[in-house]
Amino acid sequence: MKTTAVLLTLVVSVLLQLVAARYAFGAAWHLDLVLVGVVYAAIYWGPAAGILAGTLGGLTQDLLSSGIVGVGGLAKTLTGFAAGTFAAQFIVVRPQARVLVVMVATVAHRAVMVGLYALIDQRWPAVSWSAILGETLLNAVAALAAFQATELLPGAISRSRQARRSSIRRRQW
Amino acid sequence: MFATRRRTLSLLLIVSLGHVLLISVQVQSKTGAPMLEAVPFAAFAQLQRATGAFGGGISGAWNHYIALGGVARENEALHRRLTELETALQGEQAVANTARALEGALDLQQTLPVTTLAARVIAFDPSADFLTVTIDRGTADGVGVDMAILAAQGVVGKVLGHPLAHAAQVQLLIGRNAGAGATLERVDAEGVVKGGAGSPPLEMSYVSNAKDVKAGDRVLTSGHDGIFPPGFPIGVVEKAERGSGMFRSIRIRPAVDFSHLGVVLVVIDRPAKAAKPADTPAPPAGRGRGGL
Repeated sequence: MKTTAVLLTLVVSVLLQLVAARYAFGAAWHLDLVLVGVVYAAIYWGPAAGILAGTLGGLTQDLLSSGIVGVGGLAKTLTGFAAGTFAAQFIVVRPQARVLVVMVATVAHRAVMVGLYALIDQRWPAVSWSAILGETLLNAVAALAAFQATELLPGAISRSRQARRSSIRRRQW
Repeated sequence: MFATRRRTLSLLLIVSLGHVLLISVQVQSKTGAPMLEAVPFAAFAQLQRATGAFGGGISGAWNHYIALGGVARENEALHRRLTELETALQGEQAVANTARALEGALDLQQTLPVTTLAARVIAFDPSADFLTVTIDRGTADGVGVDMAILAAQGVVGKVLGHPLAHAAQVQLLIGRNAGAGATLERVDAEGVVKGGAGSPPLEMSYVSNAKDVKAGDRVLTSGHDGIFPPGFPIGVVEKAERGSGMFRSIRIRPAVDFSHLGVVLVVIDRPAKAAKPADTPAPPAGRGRGGL
């Protein structure tokens, strides 16, 4: 069940990322919905889920881009594990705290990526701080929407069902 | 609890080791593993096509049925722009006729025309580090590795890796590891334009400090790389400073708006390598996948 949920989260985030990439491409802003999905899985289902989501999500992104396959996978695996461990140690329940975890994870993920490419290329790649800041903020907005939807959607559905049931009962009277 | 933590750590260690091995294989070989790239790319090309169509459908529905507020105003502006362009075109034609007459008189070699094939961009790179797009043309249409990709405004990039029958991955000039042989039109200096430089995303290397390069100078393809035909716009110099070594530090704003790539042109016939001047320093070989 947990594995299925993690895989489903990942599939949704990869598909959303493919659609978002169309609009973010070449623009000054960028968002990484796969990373948001990885952190989401890590927070909800723990570090092992973070590792699984990070590995699969990162490798999928690597395969779809022209980069070295494994770099994104390793970065997302480490980020997923760290986010999952943090969420397990300090019970992260409030949406603001979860969004903060996503923001820190975005910066950490970018740092790991830059570090790995610096190791591979033997030179520091160009780093745009404004792009990192933009990505962090956009990821935070996407994460907030995802967490709020997860928290509020089941309640809203049950309330709407209850309202429908009571209106049917009133009509029967 | 302790056992679970140990299991998770073991999993992390195994997975990380797997990734490191995977990276090592690619970095060592540099030529890349064809199966590793081709098989997943083939599988994902269909998915990218579908998401591309879905995204296109949404934006199409939005643009054609909902967001029509500014269409009349835009139409009027376009008519005005068309009139201006027609006038400008007449001027350009007159200049071209004069140039052709001069060429004939001086017995200059005619620039080879290039055969192109229109292709639609169906998917965009989902990561921010390597800028690639997928086009809906492949080997069945005559598309091959390292073929140049152009847009109306100038150079877009080149075909990467292993194109499929009806899809190919294009490395954009602004991406990491991308590059092109270039020439500065005004000062007649040659060098190499490389992507991934931040903002602006292009930088030009190997131009001597002795050359008087200024902001606003046009940068064109030189044709020396054997990929891009000569004379196509790459961009405009935004900043040119004296470098610490022998060469100038030049930043270039690309001619193409990469955020609005819809239809591109694939140069089907490969350009013959232009003769290289003896005094131009040789650029180093590209590193990693997709380097020139």
